[in-house]
Amino acid sequence: MRSFHRGFRSFRRNYARNLILIVLLFVCLTFSMSMLAVKLAADNQVQTIKQTVGNYGEIKISSDYQMKRFEAERQKTAAERAAEARSMTTEQEFADRVANLVPEKLTDQFSGGRYIKTYDKVLETNITVPGLTNTNMQQLFQMRESGPQEQNAGPSGSRMNQNSFSFQGNTNGASASDFTTGAKKLVEGKFFTYADYKNANPVVVIEKNLAEDNELKVGDTVEAQVSGQTGTNSLLGLKIIGVYETVEAERQSQSSSSQTANFNPAGNAFYAPLSVVQKLSSTPGYVELGSYYFDSVGDTTALKATFKTETKGTSSKYQFATDQSDYQAIADPLLKARNTSVIGLAGALGACALIILLAMFIIVSGRTRELGVLKAIGSTDRQVIVQYAFEVLFICLVAIILAMGVTALIGQSMGNWLLPKSQKTTASQQSSTQGGPMRMFDQNRLYKAGGRFSMGASSQKQQAAKLNVVYRGSLFLYGILILLGISLVGMAIPVFWIIRLRPARVLSME
Amino acid sequence: MSEKDVLSVKDVSKTFQVKAGEVNAVDSVSFTAGKGEVTAVVGPSGSGKTTLLYVIGSLEEPESGEIEVAGHDILDPGADLVQYRRESVGFVFQFFNLIPTLTALENVMLPMDIAGVPVDDQDRRASELLEKMGIEGRLLRARTNKISGGESQRVAIARALANDPDVILADEPTGNLDTATGKTVVEILSKLAHENGKCVLMVTHDESILDVSDRAFHMTDGRLSEIHA
Repeated sequence: MRSFHRGFRSFRRNYARNLILIVLLFVCLTFSMSMLAVKLAADNQVQTIKQTVGNYGEIKISSDYQMKRFEAERQKTAAERAAEARSMTTEQEFADRVANLVPEKLTDQFSGGRYIKTYDKVLETNITVPGLTNTNMQQLFQMRESGPQEQNAGPSGSRMNQNSFSFQGNTNGASASDFTTGAKKLVEGKFFTYADYKNANPVVVIEKNLAEDNELKVGDTVEAQVSGQTGTNSLLGLKIIGVYETVEAERQSQSSSSQTANFNPAGNAFYAPLSVVQKLSSTPGYVELGSYYFDSVGDTTALKATFKTETKGTSSKYQFATDQSDYQAIADPLLKARNTSVIGLAGALGACALIILLAMFIIVSGRTRELGVLKAIGSTDRQVIVQYAFEVLFICLVAIILAMGVTALIGQSMGNWLLPKSQKTTASQQSSTQGGPMRMFDQNRLYKAGGRFSMGASSQKQQAAKLNVVYRGSLFLYGILILLGISLVGMAIPVFWIIRLRPARVLSME
Repeated sequence: MSEKDVLSVKDVSKTFQVKAGEVNAVDSVSFTAGKGEVTAVVGPSGSGKTTLLYVIGSLEEPESGEIEVAGHDILDPGADLVQYRRESVGFVFQFFNLIPTLTALENVMLPMDIAGVPVDDQDRRASELLEKMGIEGRLLRARTNKISGGESQRVAIARALANDPDVILADEPTGNLDTATGKTVVEILSKLAHENGKCVLMVTHDESILDVSDRAFHMTDGRLSEIHA
């Protein structure tokens, strides 16, 4: 306590000299703390991003395989294709229908991996609902005027007409990506559940405008055509259990002209349990994709290796697509800013150490007589060291308090200063990956991003484009650590000097 | 060593290594100094007086000899020299060696603070000592770099007395003062011996100090010889 008091008194009395040192340290510490604040903010944001991006993957048919099939089909003439279709056995027909689908067995097997947190299976196909008209398809057919009323389309080879609707099946309605991204929201009724999927309950969730136009409500039943079947047994009654609204489409419809009033592109999608959609499309045991959330982006490599092992022999047919590139596009600028801040932090701390070492050398060498006196009148080395330690600590404390205060003011500016340089790349990456409305047909688009009218990914990228340097508790703790570290470095010179000093050498000096 | 003697130095030698070789700063010096006496060691500059004083004050370590202060053998390997410097001896230097950022009062309080004396007692005793030395009023709170040489030396004497030591070791106490001020300082030191019973050992080249000394020695080239009145 006495050494503390003496150290404080000495700090107070040598104010002019200490002020110079405090100013020098303050400058370096402000820079250090700002860099630290940027680093912590970047780390924190990257961690947050890791929770939502980079931890997703899906098993689906590879685009290479699809291209090969498409090319092979293109080589055939219409007559050849018709003849081939006529001569197909039931087994061959089934094989053709599931050629662009993934066996459920494979997706189930992959879900057992230790990194997998959640798992879903998805099948999207076109199903005919005889009693309803798809205004979207109707307009397309009208535009083709004299074009055929039917055409071949879709991976499962389903026939499309004005009564065709997109049916999306998964294991739990609420976890369908269109709903998780916020592009669509349930406005009435409920979602189908995992139990509905397991029991293949014939239930469906339909779009609000479609329901209103056709005077359908929750509890009503619509009949859908089972693909490849004819007769009375070919219709499956689906009970409407929920009505959803397409958020963006609603916004657009409010500002649209009267001539497009009947055009409802959002209304062509039905959501039903996967097992029901499989039944309707006659593709039992097959899905379009297996969707997986895992712990973090760091697991991607291991999961890709697992996928390779599990698809050995057929690996070129299937692919494990991840959102790693999305993660990189979002996190890279932050990581670059973080790395720059770490370099800045190291440099500034080095400068702090150098300043305090030099300053203490000058201070102590100018106070050797005082040290000699203290020893001559009976101070132990420990007492003198502790006194000087407190003096150095007070200098550093004042400097770091000021630095932390200023950091709170300039931290965000430092973050902005560091981020824009590394952000240009992201902006160009963003523009190249968001290809407008056609993006929904992009093979590389992941299920998690949702279908048409989904805004999730872009808003996430916009969010990541800003580095939010907020004052957090850990910065304060690091500040204390820096304070102690700098003080210890600063003490090195006095300790060395005090231990080696022989009072007799300095007390006789004029 | 008689009963009255507080300080006994026997065959003490101290050498320094210099470029030209070895210098015998203190060469087989023996003497005693008594309680209530002023002992003066006079001699020219470089004769080894200050070295002898520092050896007695444990600021330098001699190669050989015996030094006993108030019954304590300070050259014993187990001797607590820090405590010895804190409690048994007080130093008065030619250049005062006061801490310039502290006030006169704080300089006197400093040895007591180091010794762990309660702050109130420090303040009271330091004020008393300074008052005895003629330092009062605003001078108590004045920084020691703002006061005169004579005042500084009186503060230094008060500081030497702070922990009530048996022996006062004064190194050229008048060396940096004018004649009149030097005389006052010598009178104070003499009073400390004769009225307060301290053993005052003064080393100086100023032979006028011999007038107030009870024992006197002459030092040349590290060797000590007694001057008989």
